[in-house]
Amino acid sequence: MIEYPEIDRYASLDSPMHRFDPRAKIIAFLFLIFSIVIIPELKIVIIGLFFAIFLLILSRIPLSFVLGHLKWVALFVLSLYVMLAFTFPGKEIAKFYFLSITAEGLYTGSLITLRAFSAVILIFPMIGTMRFDTMIKALDKLKVPNILVQMLMFTYRYIFVFMDEFQRIGTAMRSRGFKLRTTLYALRTIGKAMGMLFVRSYERAERVYRAMHSRGYTGNPKTLVEFEIRRRDYILAVSIIGFAVSLHIISFFLP
Amino acid sequence: MVHISDGVLSLPVLAAGWAITIALMAAAICWSKRRRTSAEEIPKLSVVTAAFFVASLIHIPVGPTSVHLILSGLVGVILGILAYPAIFIGLVLQFFLFQHGGITTIGINTVVMGVPALISYGIFKAGNKLGFSRKGVSEGIFGAIAGGLAVALAVLFLVICLLTTGKGFSGVASLVAVAHIPIILIEAAVVGSVVAFLVKVKPELIPLGGARK
Repeated sequence: MIEYPEIDRYASLDSPMHRFDPRAKIIAFLFLIFSIVIIPELKIVIIGLFFAIFLLILSRIPLSFVLGHLKWVALFVLSLYVMLAFTFPGKEIAKFYFLSITAEGLYTGSLITLRAFSAVILIFPMIGTMRFDTMIKALDKLKVPNILVQMLMFTYRYIFVFMDEFQRIGTAMRSRGFKLRTTLYALRTIGKAMGMLFVRSYERAERVYRAMHSRGYTGNPKTLVEFEIRRRDYILAVSIIGFAVSLHIISFFLP
Repeated sequence: MVHISDGVLSLPVLAAGWAITIALMAAAICWSKRRRTSAEEIPKLSVVTAAFFVASLIHIPVGPTSVHLILSGLVGVILGILAYPAIFIGLVLQFFLFQHGGITTIGINTVVMGVPALISYGIFKAGNKLGFSRKGVSEGIFGAIAGGLAVALAVLFLVICLLTTGKGFSGVASLVAVAHIPIILIEAAVVGSVVAFLVKVKPELIPLGGARK
């Protein structure tokens, strides 16, 4: 039914991206992503996209896994592309009855599509190459506010609990003949099921928190991973950031 | 709910989104620190955030297509001011795990969903001041208003974001607005019934519901 969102399924592989220090990796990739999405020039965005694909290949994450995750972005961006092509004002290049496609619409659409795909592709070499708990520890070391780090950690954990729990409730409801339709009755029933999910999970969360607290949990993520930043990490981070900056320099001097 | 992807919006809109989000989060975190309840509240916050996340996986059929639940209004009613960081975390995870939305647009997407959630909280609070008459029923009605309004305002904010990005986006913006009308009604029904249920079954989850003497 619902698939588990296992973004870190391939975190145990070995590649230059996997060996990259998590803190340096997060900073370098965020810088690169933020740079690519604001490039105004289509040609430069294409270079950025190829660089993103290069980093993805370097990370050895299977392409089939990445393609499966690209479908949501594709759905959003491609529908935006179609809408823009037809509704953007500009020079008409094709006409179907009362609808017309404009060159400006196609240009803006392509720009947006390629920027979005570059950003999403870069997510895989960034967070797909480390375990989720490693990322949380890295965020903590990067001085992200502790309440956010803890919320990220607990929420991530509870997503899986909730999915299982809701699946169980859903099975129970269907076995009693419930069908999800757009009637007020069905919606109210779903509301009550959600409510039950809240109650069960809330009680469980409290129990788990007390148990953790009594075992000495202080709110700081503790993992066995030790971070050690080496010269190699500095070189990699600086070259990724340097690439991002040079994209903007080129696009600035382009006619 | 449609979250804006990377690469769509212009730099000023993205920057404004991050500025508002960082300011509101700092305010919410300071507020919770002053009350010194943050350590014990984290499980509750996380449960609601995770529910917010899982809700977006439940698809409800509407005609030939389907829509998914959003529950941002419910997050507002349960968490109050802390709904804002909760929605932020929800959006971060939605992007990291499912690639819904975008990473550079987390700031603006949090504004689009979080500010309406705070307004919904205000509405529910106002309803609470008026005094809920029959237990469960009036909370449910105010819950429904809060739930529907949160989505309606989110759509409004989304449309404004698209319109400020460029003149060419007006067609897209109107299509987005029309597509969300059924979602507003569905959200109102679901959030209303969740609130009515929680008030009866687990009143401490809705601190404002039990204030009626």
